Amino acid sequence: MIDRLRRVLRVARWEVARAGGGVDRRTLLAALALLLVAGGVLGGGLAAGAVGLDVDRDVYRVAVDGDSPYADAVEEAPALTPVPVEGAELGDTADLVVFDGGGSRTGAVETVAVRASDTRKGEAAAAEFREAVEAHNERLMAAEENATAAFPITVTLQYVGRTSGLDDGSTLGEDDGGSGGDSESGDGSGGGDGSTDGGGSDGDSEGGDADGSGDPVTADDTAGDGLAVPSVGGAAFGADTVGSPGSISPPFPFVSLLLAFVFLVPMNFLIQAYGSSILDERTNRRGEPLLVTPLSPVDIVAGKTLPYVAAALLVTTLIAAAVGGGPLSVIAVLPVALTFLAATFVGAMFARSFKELTFVTVGVSVLLTTYAFVPAIFTNVTPVALVSPLTLVVFDLQGEAVSVGEALFSTGPMALGAALLFGLGLGVYREEDMFTQKPVARKLLDALAVRLSPVEDAGFGDFVDRRRIRALGSVALLTAFAIPFVFVAELLAVATLFALPVTVSIPVLLVTIAFIEEVAKSVHLYAGFERGVFARADRVAVAVGLASAVGFFLAEKATAVVQAVGLTDLYVGRAAFGSVAGVEGLSPVAVAALLFAPLLLHGFATTVAAVGASRDRTYYVLTLALATLLHAAYNFGVVSIHG
Amino acid sequence: MGEGEGGATTAGKSSRLTIAGRELAGLRAEKTILLAVAIQLFIAAFSSFLVVGLVSMYDPGALGGAEVEVAGAGDAVSDLERAASEVEGASVTPYEDAAAARLAFDRNAADAVVVVNRHDEGRISATVTAPDATVETTVIVVQLRELLRTYELNERADRAAYLSESPLPLPERTGSSPYFTFTYTVLIPVLVFLPVFISGSLVVDSITEEIDEGTLELLRVAPVTLGEIVDGKALAAVAIAPGQALLWLLLLRANGTPVANVPSILALMTALTTLVVALAVAISALAPDRRAAQFLYSVGVLVLFGGATAMAGGPANAVARLAIDSADATTTALVVAYVGIAAVAYAGVRALVAENGFES
Repeated sequence: MIDRLRRVLRVARWEVARAGGGVDRRTLLAALALLLVAGGVLGGGLAAGAVGLDVDRDVYRVAVDGDSPYADAVEEAPALTPVPVEGAELGDTADLVVFDGGGSRTGAVETVAVRASDTRKGEAAAAEFREAVEAHNERLMAAEENATAAFPITVTLQYVGRTSGLDDGSTLGEDDGGSGGDSESGDGSGGGDGSTDGGGSDGDSEGGDADGSGDPVTADDTAGDGLAVPSVGGAAFGADTVGSPGSISPPFPFVSLLLAFVFLVPMNFLIQAYGSSILDERTNRRGEPLLVTPLSPVDIVAGKTLPYVAAALLVTTLIAAAVGGGPLSVIAVLPVALTFLAATFVGAMFARSFKELTFVTVGVSVLLTTYAFVPAIFTNVTPVALVSPLTLVVFDLQGEAVSVGEALFSTGPMALGAALLFGLGLGVYREEDMFTQKPVARKLLDALAVRLSPVEDAGFGDFVDRRRIRALGSVALLTAFAIPFVFVAELLAVATLFALPVTVSIPVLLVTIAFIEEVAKSVHLYAGFERGVFARADRVAVAVGLASAVGFFLAEKATAVVQAVGLTDLYVGRAAFGSVAGVEGLSPVAVAALLFAPLLLHGFATTVAAVGASRDRTYYVLTLALATLLHAAYNFGVVSIHG
Repeated sequence: MGEGEGGATTAGKSSRLTIAGRELAGLRAEKTILLAVAIQLFIAAFSSFLVVGLVSMYDPGALGGAEVEVAGAGDAVSDLERAASEVEGASVTPYEDAAAARLAFDRNAADAVVVVNRHDEGRISATVTAPDATVETTVIVVQLRELLRTYELNERADRAAYLSESPLPLPERTGSSPYFTFTYTVLIPVLVFLPVFISGSLVVDSITEEIDEGTLELLRVAPVTLGEIVDGKALAAVAIAPGQALLWLLLLRANGTPVANVPSILALMTALTTLVVALAVAISALAPDRRAAQFLYSVGVLVLFGGATAMAGGPANAVARLAIDSADATTTALVVAYVGIAAVAYAGVRALVAENGFES
């Protein structure tokens, strides 16, 4: 063991020495110079007032009389650009024409009318104009001397938890979450005492003037664990209007999210270097000397990966220290970093050239960043957010308590996924695969086939043959290992289809999920037949199909945690994971039927796909489609029974 | 003499095209371009999902409203009710005192509590209690803000005599989805610029890979100049960009989002691709190896686009204005300027490389 560790460390040292030579001082200096130039230009621009992140600058043209008081409102709104009324034609040179009700010289405008071009752009321009006028009014009022008349209402906003909770027992580690909520909510008597979160709002409820109370609020806000909670007096209209209704901003953990994103940024650079290093081994047979040493592939890969894991840990710790995160942030980001590296490792093992690797790396970054980031947006909204470890980071930054169960649920699947991906890539870390050029799909089949054991076509009398049982066991195991990826793919499907109306999203989702599961159950069977591990016979196909189905069934039942985190509370979630939820209130017979119906379904559908896989690719595609339809029909039945 | 020169030019041209063709054939064989398109599709789908999701949280009215039930109390509650009647999606039920309203809130009979009281000197205080961290909090707070703003407008109108300048009357509310602005100002620029980065990255990979494997030396034995090799590689990378952008624009059009000024947008993005490709060639020529080159390229592109987007009249804004059909003479001048800058940059880099060769 110690010997092995020493070997791994030796490879790691060698990798560090090599990588250190890769990005030399000159390159770093050049990068630094680029950043400095950018900083200088931006700073200069800011000073000159030419810089602003208004991507919507001047997108709507508003025809308004230069004398009209509305001209100022249009002038001050970045998205609107004023055009002269004379010669303005709706839909051609202007999107909106403003007619104020005369009296533009006296300053007292009675009414205003707008005519927008009859398009969606015209509507959008009208809405934008209304907002611009509102903002203009706020500014006008802020300049008033009589603050009571300008802002007659002062708002104190507080957030409290209901004593009879809405969120009964839907989360893992309920105890901690519950007590955290209680201590936080206070009793809501008065704005000052309670809610650590909503503390930003009590600024001037007692004060007569609206001025000057902006400061304590801002201070509160930054002190509040970097949480962008409902601060009254946001940046919109400046600190003068603190406490007026217009300055209420809805709760959204924006700052925490942004900070959580900062943790992901270095990963993208890290996997670029790591991917290059792995692919470097494979080009020009450079990795061959290492392979012929007594080092095992596991040692080599572990050693080559170690420095990057260490770098990720270091950077994460630095960022955590900088943004005020604790050890929890580091623990939460580690599995994400490992998954980034694992996916890149597989990509680099499969890619044929650096060009291909670039696309694989971009794909990995995009997919993993969305998978980690998007659920975290809903941190305070639903427990589903916990599927991403970044949610833990957001919790950590907000200073909320996280139970061990939650932490495990959040980080476990990702860590497991990383381990499995490394396993997949290691399968082809051998001479005959590393230095050959094959399309990615065929490499994937190779990597899967490596994990299978031969199944010969033998009579049913030999069914109890130990080798055969073991071979079928490996089929089931491989299917079971696919579960985390199925889970991830289904979550992504749920997330992307979430925005569609239910009538569209449910059928599409049912078919997508059936397809994902059928592929997970049969793709390695296809690999086995294609690579000659399995004999091409119907009996074999039935045997491996059933084995795969059993593996999937057992693993799926083990993931009943899905229910525990309340994913099935969502309608869409119920459609996706319906088969593991909602058994209460049924007779034992029905429960047993519900329990074993999926097994029958999986067995039948997978056997169909396996028989196709044992023929050739065309047959496989056809039977896979058939199996998907069968599965989707079954899912649809389940969903309609469950309602 | 003239004839000989003509022949040389033709030979140069055909060798450039040969190299470009070889690059494209490599992309086709690896099917990487399909992966690139898939990635772009994924980004587009997901950013739309995000925005639709967030917009529906922030602007409940935008996606078929939500009704917020407010428990009101205090001595000015009737004014609050009056304001609620003018606001869609909010209703106020008066309770006799704050405690009763709070009880209703605790029993889930109300989404929020608002206690409004008049004070001396005419000021009104509103104490709002919203539920903590549930699904609906954002929606509720957005509706409450709308309600309280309407209330404020009413109260302000009553005190107009004390104001030196009265607020401007608001135009009528129109139904418009914020998604419209997002489509033109964020989604279209992102989709138009993604192929630009991909093309630059391709050039970095292509050149550094040749240097790395020593095949560039082989190419130099062939009767082509270094400048022609660079031209060929750049041509292939630039050629694939506008097609991808056009694909997205056509897709959006098919989805009912008309995009104006497509030729100008394509000209602008081709110019930017040329600029980024020039940057990529320069970096591959200067950086010692592939890793350094990709690193510098990523940083360089970040800097270039970060800076350009933040500037007034940046390319993102120019594309948005072209697409939404709000372009004016300045936008056209901008497109021409970008084309000019790109041409100068590429010519400069090409001359530099042809003169000094690649370092390796």
